[in-house]
Amino acid sequence: MKVEEALKDAMASQVAGVYASPSMGQAVRRRSRRNVVRFRTAGAALLTVAVAGAVPVYLSHAPAAGHGQTAAGAGDGSADTAAVSGVVVPDVIGTDATSVRTILEDAGFTVEFKEALTEGQGLRVVTAQEPAAGTEAPAGSVITVTIVESDSPEASPSATPSADPLPQDLGDLGDGRDFGGIHVGYLPDGLEWGKWSGKDGFGKTSYTTTWVEPGLEPGMYSVQMIVYKGDAADRLADRMKGYRGQGAEAIKVGGKTAYLVPLGEAPDKITEGGTLTIVWTERTGLAVEVAISPDYAKKIGKDAAGRELKKIAEGVAPTR
Amino acid sequence: MTEEDEAAFDEFLAARSTALLRTAILVCGASTIDAEDMVQSALEKVYRHWPRIRHDNPEAYARRVVVNGAISRSRRKKVIQEITFAHPPDTPVESPDLGLRDALLAELRKLPARMRAVLVLRYWEDLSEAETAALLGCSVGTVKSQAARGLARVRARMGNLEGASA
Repeated sequence: MKVEEALKDAMASQVAGVYASPSMGQAVRRRSRRNVVRFRTAGAALLTVAVAGAVPVYLSHAPAAGHGQTAAGAGDGSADTAAVSGVVVPDVIGTDATSVRTILEDAGFTVEFKEALTEGQGLRVVTAQEPAAGTEAPAGSVITVTIVESDSPEASPSATPSADPLPQDLGDLGDGRDFGGIHVGYLPDGLEWGKWSGKDGFGKTSYTTTWVEPGLEPGMYSVQMIVYKGDAADRLADRMKGYRGQGAEAIKVGGKTAYLVPLGEAPDKITEGGTLTIVWTERTGLAVEVAISPDYAKKIGKDAAGRELKKIAEGVAPTR
Repeated sequence: MTEEDEAAFDEFLAARSTALLRTAILVCGASTIDAEDMVQSALEKVYRHWPRIRHDNPEAYARRVVVNGAISRSRRKKVIQEITFAHPPDTPVESPDLGLRDALLAELRKLPARMRAVLVLRYWEDLSEAETAALLGCSVGTVKSQAARGLARVRARMGNLEGASA
């Protein structure tokens, strides 16, 4: 027997009984949501508050009838829509035109563009939305967005024209270690600033940014930090009470009382195998949340991920 | 991502995910669970870019992501340890109860990741030298030499076995 044939035969025998799981698509989608920077899920956080966890956001995605894309299998969408009333409209102003549809549809809305989209290289961003961000609108209702070609020079990533530009609400943060009124004293080795920042995506007032391993695709994170102030800090305090109610033990990190919990799609629920997250109140009206992406946690190991989160938490200090 | 994109992605998975998983197992030599995890992570990339790539040979793109992911994964220490623990290189290869197939697979696992990937793509996926080169991002000459050296090592193992049993 020729060696090529013998090899092929051996390979075939090794994998003959292997079949991909039918839930592969589900797993891939779930994973995609967990590793992408949690800016979009801000809508989800607000939604869970508004409707007390009636349905996960992604289930409430239901195209409006007559919109020309009602596919088979979406027949029960209207029921979901009815169950979720009054979803808080996410802020999409400044968002890239190619991602605005995903953001709004993920939050359960239907999108209408005021200006027809054409194929082109120029970056096009949302400049107006109706209804406004922060107001409540029925799930499935139409959000009208106005798209205008952007001429800002920093927003023309020629190397990766297909990548969705991330928000730059706080401008250039350098190493990202000073933002939202805190200083980040410790970060795991080898991480660099994720070169984006968001404001008020997690409630008013909140700031977020990420650090990444070099070479990570845009939109992915290794460590994400969210700083909550004012109302948003109060809501995080409520979430921590909720974790305690679910049996989580408070830990002491450098004199701060923190919760180290795995979180799933709904950030107020402890979910085994979820994204490892540490939350604490730095002082009244200032709370911080830090998450390690599942991919990065897997790379460094779960125990190490927990240790790193504690060290990061320990190193955070208010700057004013 | 439109509903139609999502549906097309599901169709793509139904048609291709088993083949991708099998290729991943062969290239990185890991367990099914590890390989499944790797394929999921590769398909996550495919999913993120799906609206853009779905009309432009998504299968080739997915295979490239899976194979390159498998190569880098098998280079990582942890998996190498797992492989060596599963198949300690000192003992099993020469043991008489091991069939020809197992011996070949053991030899395959011992090859450098990239060389193993060449053999898997050429002789399991039946890709041409040019296709393999494009997928791995190397020259056709490299594919030829890697395939020849890989085959030579496997052939030597096969010769030893046949010599031993004869």
